Amino acid sequence: MEIAGERGRKRRPVGSGIRWTSVVTTLLGVALIVLLHWMVFFWVNTEATMGIVQRIFYVHVPAMWVAFLAFGIAALSSAVYLWLRDERLDMAAVAACEGGMLFTTVGLITGSLWGKIAWGTYWEWDPRLTLTLLLWFIYLGYFMVRAATENPERGRRLSAVIAIVGALDIPLIHVSVLWFRSLHPQPVVLDTRQPMNLDSDMLLTLMIGLLAFTVLFLGVMGFRYGLERSRRTLDIRLARRMA
Amino acid sequence: MIYLRQLWAIAWKDLLIELRSRERVGSMAGFTALVGVLFNFAIDWTAVRPDEIASALIWVTVIFGGTLGLGRTFELEAQDEAFQGVLLTPAPRDALFLGKVLSNYVIVLVVTLLVLGLFGLFFALDWGDHPIVLVGTLALGGLGFVAVGTLFSAVSSGTAIGQTLLPVLLFPLLVPVVIYGTSATGRLLVGRPLDEVEGNLRILGAFALVALAVGATLFRYVVED
Repeated sequence: MEIAGERGRKRRPVGSGIRWTSVVTTLLGVALIVLLHWMVFFWVNTEATMGIVQRIFYVHVPAMWVAFLAFGIAALSSAVYLWLRDERLDMAAVAACEGGMLFTTVGLITGSLWGKIAWGTYWEWDPRLTLTLLLWFIYLGYFMVRAATENPERGRRLSAVIAIVGALDIPLIHVSVLWFRSLHPQPVVLDTRQPMNLDSDMLLTLMIGLLAFTVLFLGVMGFRYGLERSRRTLDIRLARRMA
Repeated sequence: MIYLRQLWAIAWKDLLIELRSRERVGSMAGFTALVGVLFNFAIDWTAVRPDEIASALIWVTVIFGGTLGLGRTFELEAQDEAFQGVLLTPAPRDALFLGKVLSNYVIVLVVTLLVLGLFGLFFALDWGDHPIVLVGTLALGGLGFVAVGTLFSAVSSGTAIGQTLLPVLLFPLLVPVVIYGTSATGRLLVGRPLDEVEGNLRILGAFALVALAVGATLFRYVVED
C-alpha cells in the first residue's frame, strides 16, 4: 500500500487494471482469429453445393453473433444505468455499442460479398440482411444522439433510452421481416446456417470462429471502456483545474 | 380519475394551441397535398395501376407528414423554458407523455383523413368494400407511430441538432408498422375479405400497446432536467 504524501510516490495510471486485461484478451482474440483463418483457408473441407464461397460463413456468422451480443450488453447496461445511475454502466454501454457497430459492419460486408456469389446480387431483402441493416441504423442513432448533446449526462440518458427501445423493437422487426418474405416467394437458398447440418470439421471451425470473435470483442470492448474512463477522469481533472 | 384529467389537460392545452395557430396541421396538410401532386408526376400511370401502389403512397405520406408534425411536439415549449413549467405541474410524467401522444394522435388522424381524401380524389381510388376498416387500420398503425414518434421527438429536441435527428431515430423502428400496415391497406383496397387482414390488425394493435407502455415508462428519463 502506498503512503499518502510520500515524496515521489508512483501513482497508478488510471485504468491500468482494465488495460492489462484488455491487452491479454485482445492478444488472445487475435491469436484465435489467426487460427480461425488458418482453419478456414487450409483445414476445413469445402462445402459440397456452394463451394469455396461458403468459407466466408465462418467469419460472417461469428461477426453477427457478436453484433447481437454487443447490442444485448448495451441495452442491458443502459437499462440498469437509468436505474442505478452508475457511470461505469454507461461506459460499458458505449464500449459495447462501438464494438457492436464495428462487427455489424463486418457482418454486412461479408454478407453481401457472399450474396454476390450465392444469390448473384450484393443486396437482397433477405430477413437477416434487413434486420442487420436496421440494427446498424439503430446503433447510428445511438451515437448521433450522444454526439449531438452538449450536456454529457443528458447524452447518456437519451442514448440509453434509444438502446432500450431499439432492443425491444428488434424482435418485432425480425418477425415482421420474416413474415414479409413469406409473402414473396424467393428462389430457395440452401440453408447451411443450421449447425445441425454441418459436418464435424465445419462445426469445429464455426465454434472456433464464435470463440475468437467473442474474445476479440471483449478485448476491444475493454480497451474502449478504459479509454472512456480515462477521458472522463481527464475531463474531471481539467474541470477542477479550471475552477 | 385525476390521472385522466391531468392527461386531458395536457392534451387539450396542445390541441387548443394548435386550433388557434394551426401551424402544425397547416404545414402537414400542405406537405401531404404537395407530395400527392409530386407523386402524380413522378409515377408513370401507364405502367402501374393506382390501387396497386396506393397503400404504399398513403403510408409513406402519412409517416413523412406525421414526422414533420411530431418533430414540433416540444418545439414551442422549448422556447423561454416553458417546458420547465409543464414539468413543474403535479401531473406525473407518464400522464404528460400520454397527453402529448393524444394531442399528436388527433393531429395525425386529421392529416391521415386528409391524405385518404386527397389521394382518393387525385388517383381516383376505389375505397374497397370496407372503408371503415381501412380508416381503422391507418388509425391503429398511426397510434404506434405516434407513440414511438412522440418519445423520440422528446429525445431529439434534447439534442443540439434537434429535429434533423428524428427520422434517423424513428424510421428503423417503424418497419413493423409499415409492413403490416401497407399489406393490410393494400388488401382492403383491392377488396379482399376481412379475415385476411385480421392478423395484421392484431399486430398493429400490439405494436401500439407496446410502444405506449415503453414510451410512458421511459419518458421520465428523457425529460429529467
